[in-house]
Amino acid sequence: MNPFQAEALNQLTRRHFLRHCASGMGSLYLASLGRALGYSGPAVTPDPAAPLMPFAPPIHPKVKRVIYLHMLGAPSTLDLFDYKPELVKYDGKDCPAEFLEGQRFAFIQGTPKLLGPQFPFERHGRCGAYVSDQLPHLAKHVDDLCFVRTMVTDQFNHGPAELMIHTGHANLGHPSLGAWATWGLGTENQDLPGFIVLLSGGETPRAGKSVWGSGFLPSVYQGVQCRSAGDPVLNLRNPDGVPRDVRRSALDTLAEINRQTEAEFGDPETATRIAQYEMAFRMQLTAPEVMDISREPEAIRDLYGATPGRESFANNCLLARRLAENGTRFIQLFDYGWDSHGSNRQESINYGFKQKCLDIDKPVSALLTDLKQRGLLDDTLVIWSGEFGRTPMQENRNGTEGNFVGRDHNPNAFTLWMAGAGVKPGFSYGETDALGYHVAADPVHLRDFHATLLHLMGIQHEKHVFPFQGLNQKLTGVLPARVIEGFLA
Amino acid sequence: MMLRAFIPLIAATCATAQVDFNRDVRPILTVHCTACHGGVKEAGGISFVFREKALAIGDSGNPTIVPGNPEASELIARITSTDPNEVMPQPDHGPPLPAEDIETLRRWIAQGAEWSEHWAFVKPAAHPVPTVKQTEWPKNDIDRFILAALEAANLEPTTVAEPALLLRRLSLDLIGLPPTLDELDAFEAAHRDDPEGAYAAAVERLLASPHYGERWASNWLDLARYADTEGLGLDRPRPAWPFRDWVIRAFDEDLAFDEFTIRQLAGDLLPEPTVNDLIATNFHRQSQANAEGGTDDEEFRVTAVMDRVATTWETWQGLTMGCVQCHSHPYDPIQHEEYYTSIAFFNNTRDADLNGNFPLIPVPKDPAKSADFSRWIRERAGLLEAIHQTHESLRAQSDWQPAAALTATSAQVELEVAPEAAEFRTVGTVPSRADFNLTFQAPEGLTSLTALRVAVIPQDPQTAIHTPEWGAVLSQIRLARGDEDIEIAAVIPDEPEPFLDPANSLRDNSQGWGIYSKIDRPRFCVIILREPHALAADTRLTLRLRHSHTAGGTFPLVTKRARITLAGEPHWTGLTADPQRTAQIARVAEIDRALSRDASVRIPVMEEQPPHLRRPTHLFIRGNWLEKDETLHQPGIPAVFGSLPEAAGNDRLAFARWLVSTDNPLTARVAVNRLWEQLFGLGLVETLEDFGSSGTKPSHPELLDHLALRFRDEHQWSQKAILREIVTSAAYRQSATATPAARQADPQNSLVSRGPRNRLSAEAIRDNGLVVSGLLAPAIGGPPVFPPMPPGGWTPFKSGEKWDTPAAGEPGRYRRALYTYTKRSNPYPGFATFDAPARDLCAKRRILSNTPLQSLDTLNSPAFAEFAQGLARRMKYDLPGDLAAKIAAGHRAATSRAPSADRLARLLELHEDLEARYTAEPELRQNLAGTADGAAFTVLASVLLNLDEAITK
Repeated sequence: MNPFQAEALNQLTRRHFLRHCASGMGSLYLASLGRALGYSGPAVTPDPAAPLMPFAPPIHPKVKRVIYLHMLGAPSTLDLFDYKPELVKYDGKDCPAEFLEGQRFAFIQGTPKLLGPQFPFERHGRCGAYVSDQLPHLAKHVDDLCFVRTMVTDQFNHGPAELMIHTGHANLGHPSLGAWATWGLGTENQDLPGFIVLLSGGETPRAGKSVWGSGFLPSVYQGVQCRSAGDPVLNLRNPDGVPRDVRRSALDTLAEINRQTEAEFGDPETATRIAQYEMAFRMQLTAPEVMDISREPEAIRDLYGATPGRESFANNCLLARRLAENGTRFIQLFDYGWDSHGSNRQESINYGFKQKCLDIDKPVSALLTDLKQRGLLDDTLVIWSGEFGRTPMQENRNGTEGNFVGRDHNPNAFTLWMAGAGVKPGFSYGETDALGYHVAADPVHLRDFHATLLHLMGIQHEKHVFPFQGLNQKLTGVLPARVIEGFLA
Repeated sequence: MMLRAFIPLIAATCATAQVDFNRDVRPILTVHCTACHGGVKEAGGISFVFREKALAIGDSGNPTIVPGNPEASELIARITSTDPNEVMPQPDHGPPLPAEDIETLRRWIAQGAEWSEHWAFVKPAAHPVPTVKQTEWPKNDIDRFILAALEAANLEPTTVAEPALLLRRLSLDLIGLPPTLDELDAFEAAHRDDPEGAYAAAVERLLASPHYGERWASNWLDLARYADTEGLGLDRPRPAWPFRDWVIRAFDEDLAFDEFTIRQLAGDLLPEPTVNDLIATNFHRQSQANAEGGTDDEEFRVTAVMDRVATTWETWQGLTMGCVQCHSHPYDPIQHEEYYTSIAFFNNTRDADLNGNFPLIPVPKDPAKSADFSRWIRERAGLLEAIHQTHESLRAQSDWQPAAALTATSAQVELEVAPEAAEFRTVGTVPSRADFNLTFQAPEGLTSLTALRVAVIPQDPQTAIHTPEWGAVLSQIRLARGDEDIEIAAVIPDEPEPFLDPANSLRDNSQGWGIYSKIDRPRFCVIILREPHALAADTRLTLRLRHSHTAGGTFPLVTKRARITLAGEPHWTGLTADPQRTAQIARVAEIDRALSRDASVRIPVMEEQPPHLRRPTHLFIRGNWLEKDETLHQPGIPAVFGSLPEAAGNDRLAFARWLVSTDNPLTARVAVNRLWEQLFGLGLVETLEDFGSSGTKPSHPELLDHLALRFRDEHQWSQKAILREIVTSAAYRQSATATPAARQADPQNSLVSRGPRNRLSAEAIRDNGLVVSGLLAPAIGGPPVFPPMPPGGWTPFKSGEKWDTPAAGEPGRYRRALYTYTKRSNPYPGFATFDAPARDLCAKRRILSNTPLQSLDTLNSPAFAEFAQGLARRMKYDLPGDLAAKIAAGHRAATSRAPSADRLARLLELHEDLEARYTAEPELRQNLAGTADGAAFTVLASVLLNLDEAITK
């Protein structure tokens, strides 16, 4: 370490020390600042010079980090987890009118027919949860899973629903889960972004980068998209002809001159900038190391079905574990192609959906196995979901039945599962009606889910506020939201 | 005179001092009370937002405040209570009030509990310019206000900045570009002889620079949430760059801020609007749209209207209106209902989240054609209105009689008929394609048929008027008697210019007359026969209506309920031969040809609904657009602002004029505060976005008023004039150096005890690189451009859109940042990294961050790698002298200053080491530079571009 690096590190450490010791752990939270609840001021006031320094939340967190697996397009959980024997009986019959009354559909027209489960289901594990034969590997993990069968959203179109599940709002402009989390908690590893997004390749989310955006929070809290092929982080690689030692000597000169500037103007931003260049230099080393799955033993790569050098969901699952291990606060995976309307082969339950299940079954199971064997599942929460559910009716676009089997969007009920810290393993929460169309008991609106997720991370959702447009904005919005105790461990 | 900011300390210690509500009391109420006892919740029936409510009797049965009698006031009883069930704030909501706050409230009540309006709602007043001790420092009145505050705080202003840094600050502030080496030379030379004259000349040169408009447009476009795409769903391209260019031009030409305001908010309502006035209204067509299949157009229309209201209030008034959508304002005196009177100004434009972003106007690519286009667009609208009036008068003069013995059948849908009303309805859900066969006969007395009227009616008219239903499109209309077709001459719509062309109902395609995409009230078309058709009492005619259109490819646009009436007046069959109407139609076609002859781009604009289709505005219960109350809300401003002048009317134009009138307390203050923030890095009101009672108080309230009045009255809203006044102040010209002690005394520089020093904005980071590297293509305006994109940075959803960067050397690669294609769902990574907003919503203030990803961008991004090569080439080939002179000039190009001797030595040493390294390993420099010297220069240039002083102004 050259003297300058030592100085920069010292500076960061000093700031770290100040933050944690001078004011006490978590003391930067609104509640303890002596302000009344509801006062218009941010819940957290991170140091803009070190905005991602970790700090402890107000309540003891069970979950230190989150791995969120989002299946874009919204998988039919009626064909995976929410087994409905009644629906088998009704398969092919006209949907009773009372189910259509007052419903807003995206694509269904006329009177649709009900569609039974498309695959055989069996009970698994000690908990006896039903899983269809499309996810044989995952089925072995049911005793670690916590199913929420009664997720409810307000949105039935992909773009708004994706925004809703990740930002709590159907319109653009609000911070995402990972942004709220890193704003509130910082991140453990300062050489990596705190909020990392991994895409399987192929389609990106319809709502674009806003689903991992920072909205009205400072932009430093937006998710950083990393890649398992090519440069893992944008601009991470030096320009051609600039090897690391050349960059080092360039940065040494840069730092020396910048220190002169700091001495002249006394601007604290200059000191921060010096530190950020050093952090960037370290990140250039750390990020490719962490993102390089070829460093994993072959047995582990095989477990996931990972192949270095290409973009895939399997690679991303393995990366998620590596990132979790390296102290990343929020890891967001997006897989695509789950929009099984039956409008074509790929978007059908009888073809494309089966392939998608094949794509994720082994990697997701491997992720759970791997996290568990390393003890990481004790303080990591894995979440799997789409952005809404699908109808028990077969979609008949343009009033006619398609050649492929498909289901329309259903915001009224869908299954999400979690595994790991803070939630009951081998547990199932909530009941849908006989057709799996609506919630019969214990609904979990996304607002409640968001409140619960923040709670697990040690944050009180109603106090985690940032003033914007005259409101103390929060992830859970203005309507009532509650922490669902029912599935907490 | 003394500044308010320093008085509380004194007031708090003096028991007899007069309590000032705004200064002393309101902050206590806002921090501790209004969250529960305010506009959102009136817990216990108590609110501290309005005085009459604060003096009222709460649920406790006691008056909350009794003026003159603290001990009889429930407020005092509760905040001093020791009973945990009684004490306020309640223990789980916050700690008890500090003793001095309780004392302040007690004295305030004892003194009569006088209430005064929050400062921002009181019109700015002329304040006497303070007298100061250090009389030689001030250059204008701004300085006297600044100095008075400094002297009150026992501080002194600092010295004037060195000439090079002064020019750098001025140039980056006024035109967003750093000074060139020639400009630095000229300024430094002139400054030696006549500092004052040189500075004044530089100010004038920069204010007149053609790049001035680009810099200030960048800032305004954050407020306008300007982007080149529509936002949600597929986030498709939505051309709007003529609006961006209009903003640039408006700043360049110093369009007075009142006119600038009026044209953007209501240019379409001006008498005889020009094409430029219409382009200006694109400001509010920048709200997000959603063309994703299966979305509800009305939902997104309402969202856009609400966005316009929020954006208008935030941009011009620094007030947050978003929250009043659901309930009264938590802190400010704005009632829930008043949000909807504000909505009512914006609720009647024709745009309704329709595909293609209707309505649009063609904008000529050649500005010289603007006058022609203006004339044509106005004439065309006039002709269409005249034709419509002809139709309306014929319709009024017709005796419409219900078709008799109506039957209705369809192979796809079940239809039921109410024969007495000549009405049919669908039963159950409808598919997207449906053919209806309607048969009927003549009502008694009608012996010759010339026209049929199809009146489409909402299924539930009472609800539809505020929450419309999906509409209907008659893709094909045929009339027959038995097997014999009866020729239809025309289908006449009930509005001057419908979204879909009714003539298509007579052609073989899916379009045609219709109510697209939503129906909120009965609508009709008149089907005119070519010849009068003789009818016997038992003649049965068949009207065939084909529906094959959908909204967004998903929602069926099928008639769900309609009535058929018939007429026999010969004026209908004579209509198509009417020479005046024929000439009018021919002229419209001629204009359409003329408009399409010249290259143009079509951009969305604001256009008012025709009067008979105006939408009523209802309050949304708790902000939910599907749930509305009964009361109808007329356009109006919140009562705290008074009311619009009677004579002005109550449309958007009247509202825009009120914003820039002397009756408005905020517009000028908000505007000058924004300019101040752009120059000093911190507004006089720090919360640019909130001038309400939860925002920060002005650091220099009198100066804010002074500047607002100078801007509005003295300078007649000239931004250049007020900027000139600010940048020629001594306060602005101070050096940015600060000793630790000075920094501690004024940590944020809110007292302006030194000159401003701030990181460049995202746009300026790029523009600075372009100038320093010598690569800038200085062209102004035009379609968006695609600068180099880091690999992996362009990943739009399912879009064929390509990011096509012109080859190295092409000017299109080197345009200023504000011309970069702005896709909301995929912002340009370099800008997002440097804190540029995604332009989803109106962004009032950028909070600057300082992160490692920024370092990676300016070190490694393809754009910056190229800037380094450009600066290297300049040093190697263009800049004169020996190596040391070249490097010194490079340093000066990047930072505006010559390097000190030891800094230059350090840079020379780096160059020497690098050259040795690249000489020893020639293969290393492949793709970097042709020679070892060139490679060394390139790496050195990257260091220069990354210096703190190079990315700071």
